[in-house]
Amino acid sequence: MDKLYQKKHELWLHITFASFAINDETIKSRLYEFSLIAFRHMKWIGSDLLEHGNDYNYDRDIELYKRENVFEVIKALQSEVLNIQKLYTDTILGKRAQTDDAYLLEYLRQVLADDANNQEVTAFNMQRVWNKGELDASQTDALTLFLFEELYKEYELILVYAYMQARTSNALHFNVFQDLIDESHFHLKSFGNMMAKLGILALPRELHEMTYIVKDLEKFVHDGIAEEEAAKEMCKQLSESIHEEKLSKFFDFINYQESYHIELMKKLL
Amino acid sequence: MLDLSGVELPEGMDAEVMSHLMSPRNYGKLESANCIGVANDEKTGEYVIFYTQLENSIVKDVNYATNGCQDTVVIGSMFTDMIKGNDVEYAQKAVQKMHEKLGDMTPEQQVCADIVFSAFSASLINFNNLIDGKVEEMHLVQMKESCDATNMGENNG
Repeated sequence: MDKLYQKKHELWLHITFASFAINDETIKSRLYEFSLIAFRHMKWIGSDLLEHGNDYNYDRDIELYKRENVFEVIKALQSEVLNIQKLYTDTILGKRAQTDDAYLLEYLRQVLADDANNQEVTAFNMQRVWNKGELDASQTDALTLFLFEELYKEYELILVYAYMQARTSNALHFNVFQDLIDESHFHLKSFGNMMAKLGILALPRELHEMTYIVKDLEKFVHDGIAEEEAAKEMCKQLSESIHEEKLSKFFDFINYQESYHIELMKKLL
Repeated sequence: MLDLSGVELPEGMDAEVMSHLMSPRNYGKLESANCIGVANDEKTGEYVIFYTQLENSIVKDVNYATNGCQDTVVIGSMFTDMIKGNDVEYAQKAVQKMHEKLGDMTPEQQVCADIVFSAFSASLINFNNLIDGKVEEMHLVQMKESCDATNMGENNG
């Protein structure tokens, strides 16, 4: 399978989780923008492979190491960006990815040039304290399990929809997949940042091909709707059980978003 | 692998469960596997796949993967840790040991445990089928009960 595709997949995750790990809102936000660019690279590299009669999969070889400070996160990311450079081909797409990465490297250099940026990273401290301790132990456990469940699910959805989008010639389906991918990116970002806030940031587990090679679209959509219903129920339960106003409102908001996902998915039938 | 043994966790979720949640053991494909089993829940689309490397009745290596809930992930992670390096007889007894380890499970968690154990058993059936000369890429079993996402931590101290 294609090495560049796998490395780009890994780099997308490295940038995304570096963004989640860092508390500084400016650096977090800039890295997240770069992560979305990396995801588009991944999509374009995948399309290019398919156009040329090749294929790709979602195998990956990546660890999320516990980092103590921002510079450790940035230096590790710098190294990952540099490592992929030799894999780019001498094409317009290869050059586009290289120039984007060069700009990312320049941004990382700027961050490293200012010692004030080297703040503590708390995303891996395992403290599981929400804000100033507004949640009791059982609420924190419920939130923890929800975040692990949903972080994986959103990652899975992004990749499954992207896999199907790359292989459809139906314009309506293509657009629905794009909407669902965009929505899942937002959820992944929300849940990843919440995990970091609780000090339990971890990568979602790898996808097995049985998950993303969909042979029966109708069954996939029906199963997906059932999963969205389950996620809605989990949001509702969390919203009711967590007596913290902002968090409750957030889960209500996610709950209504899941409702519309179901409507979008019905368009695939 | 994330070792949380020295980490002081706040009150609440069991540290071992947390460690398996954050970093599932023996996860993903296993190139050296000589038998593969899948347990599938047609109703929910949930599956567990086991890659087992059996040599002289010893589980030399084992990996699993699933699209299931976190209960399934944690049970798969703990179970593969328990059976790796042991013989098949031990592995079959490990099912009971897992029950003892996990304490009283909810019916939903029991279903998650069953799909994990069924996938492992399916890999053993695949091994025997291959020995008997049957052409079978993997052995598939269909589950009778369905799993709903539930809270692993609630029943584990």
